[in-house]
Amino acid sequence: MAGNENSGGLRPTAAQNNPANISATGGAGQSGTQPARYISGMPYGQGQELMQQQQAAPMSAPKTSNVQSAKMASPETLGLGTLLDPTNNPSEPITAGVDFGPGPGSDALPKNISANTRPDENRMIVQKYLPTLMQAANLPDTPDSYKRFVNYLLSQQ
Amino acid sequence: MSDVTWLPGSIFDNIDKFANSLGYQNAGIAIQLALQPWESPSERDAFIRAVTGDDVQGGTEKMYPIRDLRR
Repeated sequence: MAGNENSGGLRPTAAQNNPANISATGGAGQSGTQPARYISGMPYGQGQELMQQQQAAPMSAPKTSNVQSAKMASPETLGLGTLLDPTNNPSEPITAGVDFGPGPGSDALPKNISANTRPDENRMIVQKYLPTLMQAANLPDTPDSYKRFVNYLLSQQ
Repeated sequence: MSDVTWLPGSIFDNIDKFANSLGYQNAGIAIQLALQPWESPSERDAFIRAVTGDDVQGGTEKMYPIRDLRR
């Protein structure tokens, strides 16, 4: 039993025997693939068949760290505020991107989001509220500016 | 609606102010903003001034006296 003194036997200092050397992702290892996992509850014989299939064509390991960092950077995590919430970008005028007030106008918007859907939206909203707006135009104290606005809406119909 | 009077801070007053301040071409936005629960006409007007960088348009001088600049 002379043999090589470096072969065999328990080596407590080896990486695989270090209890602190545990994968945070549940032992998926460094191979870039997911380990085969036995799925219980299958009909007789199919469990082993599934194991063999998994070993033959292992699935790639999930990139959990990348997904998590992308999630944290997403603006969705900030949540949608209401119209009256303070701005998340105080250095930019709140009218940036529209054609009134301070800041750049709509020409500063990227082409793919500057499609002018406003006429359609305007038409839908105006059609919804115009009957009520017309009633208010007949009130005794209604200012002329309001009547002019309602007349403009009527002329656009 | 004959017994209803035009009130400052009403939805119609809001529509008048937003439509005349933002422009008639922005009628949809004006109506949507007018439907917001503004706490007072002064809060609404402060919003309009912040958005347009100009004074509030619309209304009449009788109902809307010139702003007190001492504030």
